[in-house]
Amino acid sequence: MEDKKEQELDEIRKKLKELLVTNLNLENIKPEQIKDNEILFGEGLGLDSLDAVEIVVLLQRNFDLDVKNMNEEKKIFYSVDTLSRYILEKRKR
Amino acid sequence: MQTNKGAPKIIARKRGNVFGFWFFRVLSKLFGLRGAYGFLYFVCLYYLLFDRQTTIGALAYVRRRFAGSGFLRSRFYIYRLFISQGKQLIDRYVAISGNVRFDIKLEGTGQLFKLLRQRQEGFILLAAHVGNWQVALTTLKNLNRTVHLVMRPEDNPAVERSLHISKEGDFVRIISPEADLDGIIQIMHALKEGDIVSIMGDRKYNFDALNVSFLGDKAYFPYGAFAIAAAANCPVVVLLSARISYKRYLVDVRNVLYPRYTDAAGKQEELRNFVQEFATILDRYTQEYPYQCFLFHDIWKN
Repeated sequence: MEDKKEQELDEIRKKLKELLVTNLNLENIKPEQIKDNEILFGEGLGLDSLDAVEIVVLLQRNFDLDVKNMNEEKKIFYSVDTLSRYILEKRKR
Repeated sequence: MQTNKGAPKIIARKRGNVFGFWFFRVLSKLFGLRGAYGFLYFVCLYYLLFDRQTTIGALAYVRRRFAGSGFLRSRFYIYRLFISQGKQLIDRYVAISGNVRFDIKLEGTGQLFKLLRQRQEGFILLAAHVGNWQVALTTLKNLNRTVHLVMRPEDNPAVERSLHISKEGDFVRIISPEADLDGIIQIMHALKEGDIVSIMGDRKYNFDALNVSFLGDKAYFPYGAFAIAAAANCPVVVLLSARISYKRYLVDVRNVLYPRYTDAAGKQEELRNFVQEFATILDRYTQEYPYQCFLFHDIWKN
């Protein structure tokens, strides 16, 4: 059961990294170079709030997820891992 | 918008306070609207002589719009700008208090209704510091959509008071651009729900901006509204308003832009075209209404 969850998470992380590189036009970065726990905004990957716009749209279009509860869900934007866990959790509902 | 944690908050100095609004309300009741306007000539002279920051801010616009004006002439233009703004502040206050009725001529609202019928999602309403955008906003009430104003917390009280936003069930809500990700999430959610998100498109504050031509010189305009529209696949409707005569206003929403990316590698350059289009619309506006551009800030300086 845990293995299956981990496998699903891995797939989501991989897809997410590819989508980030493609949609955010991250120059000189390959999807596999992004670490699972790397901070997305500010330090780390250095994304800004306009990139957040793209991520919100990316979640809507690719995972059919609507981020709306700011207080609870802003922490999901911390890293690829937090985003992936959020996607997995919402998918299962 | 950008992630600007730790960046100093810009505190805007506000002309007009509770006492000022009360004073002009009493004047308008005692002497009518024209009587209240009359007193403005003295108040604005005071601001021209002693509010150095605003005068210098206005000078940046005046120097470009009225190129070649000397010291005295440029001060005279600034004085006219202050009086024009004062009249619009009084109009805004009495209009919203319901004391005086204004004739508002609407241009392009049919197109807005069509846009809303065609789409489930909302759109971005791009406003500017020209004319009386708060009065213009009240005319959008009959679109039957919630309007989310993206504005800084320190601007909220004045706008809340003047638009009576605090009333329950009002059609206007506030989103703070300083809320970083929260703000973005709120904007995106509002657009998805079919609401209208109003953003000021002519002041960059400390947000990301692009350099485009405006009044014959390179000026910095924020591009966040266009980036959001391109990502959310929604149109940008430019909101312009102008005082055309005594108790008469024009609200113009004819300009609709559709920012889209065609080349993922050059997103910023593509956005620049839309920012330029907006600046050109404002340029045309200032040719027609030179004393209704209240950009009391040097947007030509980065």
